Amino acid sequence: MAEKQCLGNFPLADEPNYEGMLQCMRCGFCLPTCPTYVLTGRERSSPRGRVALAKAVADDQIDFTGALKEESFFCLDCRACSTSCPSGVHAGQVMEACRNQAHEAFPLTGAVRKFREFVLQRMLPSPDLLETSMLPARLYQKLGIQWLIRHSHILKLGPEWMTKAEGMMPELHPPLRPQLPEVIPAEGEQRGRVAFFLGCIMTLMYPEVSRQTVKVLTSQGFEVITPKEQKCCGAPHLNEGDRETTRSLARFNLDLFMELEVDAIVTDCAGCGASLKEYEELLEESGEHDKLALFHKRIKDISEFLAEQGLRTYNLKPVEKVVTYHEPCHLCHAQGVSKQPRDLIKAIPGIDFRELNEASWCCGSAATFSLKYTGESQQILDRKLENIQATGAELLVTANPGCHLQLAWGLKQAGMPQEVVHITELLGMATG
Amino acid sequence: MISKSAIQNLIDKLGAKNVLHEQEDLITFGYDATPEIQYLPDVVVFPTESEHVVEVVNFAREEGLPIVPRGSGTGLSGGSVAARGGIVLCLTRLNRILEIDEENLTATAQAGVVTLDFFDAVMAKGLFYPPDPGSQKISTLGGNIAEDAGGLRGLKYGVTRDYVMALNGVLGDGLTFTTGGKSVKDVAGYALKDLLVGSEGTLGIITEATFKLIPPPQAKRTLLAYFRDTRTAGQAVANIIAAKIIPSTLEIMDNATIRCVEGYAKIGLPLEMAALLLIEVDGHHAAVVEEADDVRAVLERVGAAEIHEAADTEHANQLAAARRTALSALARVSPTTLLEDATVPRSRLAETFDEIERLSEKFQLKVGTFGHAGDGNLHPTVLCDERNRDEMERAHAFYHELYDKVLAWGGTVSGEHGIGLAKKDYLERQVGAGGVNIMRRIKRSFDPHGVLNPGKIFNDEATEETRG
Repeated sequence: MAEKQCLGNFPLADEPNYEGMLQCMRCGFCLPTCPTYVLTGRERSSPRGRVALAKAVADDQIDFTGALKEESFFCLDCRACSTSCPSGVHAGQVMEACRNQAHEAFPLTGAVRKFREFVLQRMLPSPDLLETSMLPARLYQKLGIQWLIRHSHILKLGPEWMTKAEGMMPELHPPLRPQLPEVIPAEGEQRGRVAFFLGCIMTLMYPEVSRQTVKVLTSQGFEVITPKEQKCCGAPHLNEGDRETTRSLARFNLDLFMELEVDAIVTDCAGCGASLKEYEELLEESGEHDKLALFHKRIKDISEFLAEQGLRTYNLKPVEKVVTYHEPCHLCHAQGVSKQPRDLIKAIPGIDFRELNEASWCCGSAATFSLKYTGESQQILDRKLENIQATGAELLVTANPGCHLQLAWGLKQAGMPQEVVHITELLGMATG
Repeated sequence: MISKSAIQNLIDKLGAKNVLHEQEDLITFGYDATPEIQYLPDVVVFPTESEHVVEVVNFAREEGLPIVPRGSGTGLSGGSVAARGGIVLCLTRLNRILEIDEENLTATAQAGVVTLDFFDAVMAKGLFYPPDPGSQKISTLGGNIAEDAGGLRGLKYGVTRDYVMALNGVLGDGLTFTTGGKSVKDVAGYALKDLLVGSEGTLGIITEATFKLIPPPQAKRTLLAYFRDTRTAGQAVANIIAAKIIPSTLEIMDNATIRCVEGYAKIGLPLEMAALLLIEVDGHHAAVVEEADDVRAVLERVGAAEIHEAADTEHANQLAAARRTALSALARVSPTTLLEDATVPRSRLAETFDEIERLSEKFQLKVGTFGHAGDGNLHPTVLCDERNRDEMERAHAFYHELYDKVLAWGGTVSGEHGIGLAKKDYLERQVGAGGVNIMRRIKRSFDPHGVLNPGKIFNDEATEETRG
């Protein structure tokens, strides 16, 4: 891409889309929905401000400065602004593209660079390496260390992130991917055939959750195919600003899954789902529009899929619990899946469902944000915990591993009694 | 340029957290929601106490820097943009609701309180604050007062001015003032608060305000009427008013607006219709039933293609919320949305629609029109691209000619967005050189040193605009 002219003062091709930035008419409707703006009251930490800064770089008004780099990583990429924007601006995507630019503008050097490249380009893309060469617990911590080294000169991090990372770690079971048979037959009358996209964090940290997902799918009458060769969806790479590796992972998964004859490609990780649904845009230049469109159409979050198919309720057992639901940003804002999980929860007999105030407000996890910006993350989390407290729920249901980690940790820290479960664990309880 | 020691001086007064001066902050406090307008301030300050405002005003006078008061930056005439640099005084951290007085039906709040937060807080006490500008989710009360913001309920309930009972603030020479109070009647001297409302930050910086509240309406019904041509929709509005019915809301959207709003909100608006009216009647249960029937009868007589009623409150709220997104939603289809705020006597609405249609053809422009039809307040919005100079010139010519007609009909160049930077030329056409001169004299008496938002509403006598 070296021969390609860069837009304005962006140091690298693959810039944020200029028309997309011009679409912002600065009405400010995004401001009250942006957790970092609400936290700081600083316009540059708002979606409108971030887009204005990126546009200023594109317009040669400013260089790609350290402040823009910082804003691109301080953005939670929660996409709440996209939901609120009548003009169709996607500030989160603009910031993702800026993260990529940031690595060009402020290149890492030496061991830190090698470590980042190893994690993003070697380890994460290789499921075997992920599972065998490094303990998952250590992986998560190392990601934090890697970040710390890279950012320590900008942010005054206390040592608490390390305690936090350790404290967040759930009880680890052996990874699920090697254990799952490639084909698992449907139970009862078969209603269809689905491929299961098993995310890295799910297989490594929440294997028992994904086991429930598979159980629910099969008991609902779906044959489940889990291709062993599948790779990371690319979300961590996009998040860290490595668009090239994201594209090669996307390419691989696209070809792998499109060879399967399935009705849908189901995932139980909101982050993976959002990322998979963005392949169409990411690989646009390949020109394979029909294949990409069909892939997009097949990608379904587990809630979206089950709600669409209709939940078979005749064999569900009652779950006598008071339940509330936290919406993962990458499910409600990035994928527009908001009503379906609630409908599923309410369909389980015995459930006393309580709506959570500000259910779609970010929990402060946001990939590695919770470790990078521990203080800010805590403030966002506290707001969430207060709302959870007010529901009087016993169970907090969610649908994304990042939220799951953060909320479980937050509730434990605050001494609150709620247990966090993935929606398929709840459905699993009812399935028996 | 502001000196380093001057910035340090501000930091000493307000604290480092409340003084921003990095390039990236200046850029992002250099705009509001007005297209084509961006100027960098020298520094941005956030007072957290009213006393800070006095200190900043005194500082600005000593340094010879202009002060531009700002809330959330949602204005549509460039009023909160630092056109001559200087200090942007951002009031969003003066954001406490100080009192809700249930005996006097008033509430007092600082200028930086968000409009909708204020509405919710008084509603929780069973009281109603009607002004509801499109940006209410983030706009501030101070900004609403400075621009005399309207909203969807203006027709029946009036605009911000009608609810302001008292103001506290700071003048350009650093003097603090209080004007008005909780008394329902007050004719003691000049009505200074009425001068300050709508003064766009040029006469004083409002730090605190007391508002009149009313009991909320007991019942509400929401009707949607669809039309095959915009002229008939305009006629329907005039006929409803002529039938002596005052709905709380009487909003119009033309086809371009309907399509954009539906593209965002997805609530089943009619994509094939030329225009729709969103009509709400509220009040006592019995009166509401009668008024809704009367409105329906007028709509049937004038020839509305379809008439629907909102199924429930949730649906009604969805419709109102969707209408509020109209301007931003229009931005979906073009890089630039150039919007105006023409307001005409309501009997002229149908003709105004004809004129908009004629002019958009003449100048070969794509125009989406929506607005508070019941107030005669329309927002014809040119959907254009600021990179296309020729198109931008045609867009400005479109407005120029439209305002000829609007003024000839006894209308106004701004119903609710203010003059700011964007409409200075139009103001003089409306009020004449004499009118502008009186305004200059008033400004001088409030702001003898000319530090408060200079160059807004009208140019200073001596200096024509130099920065650009």
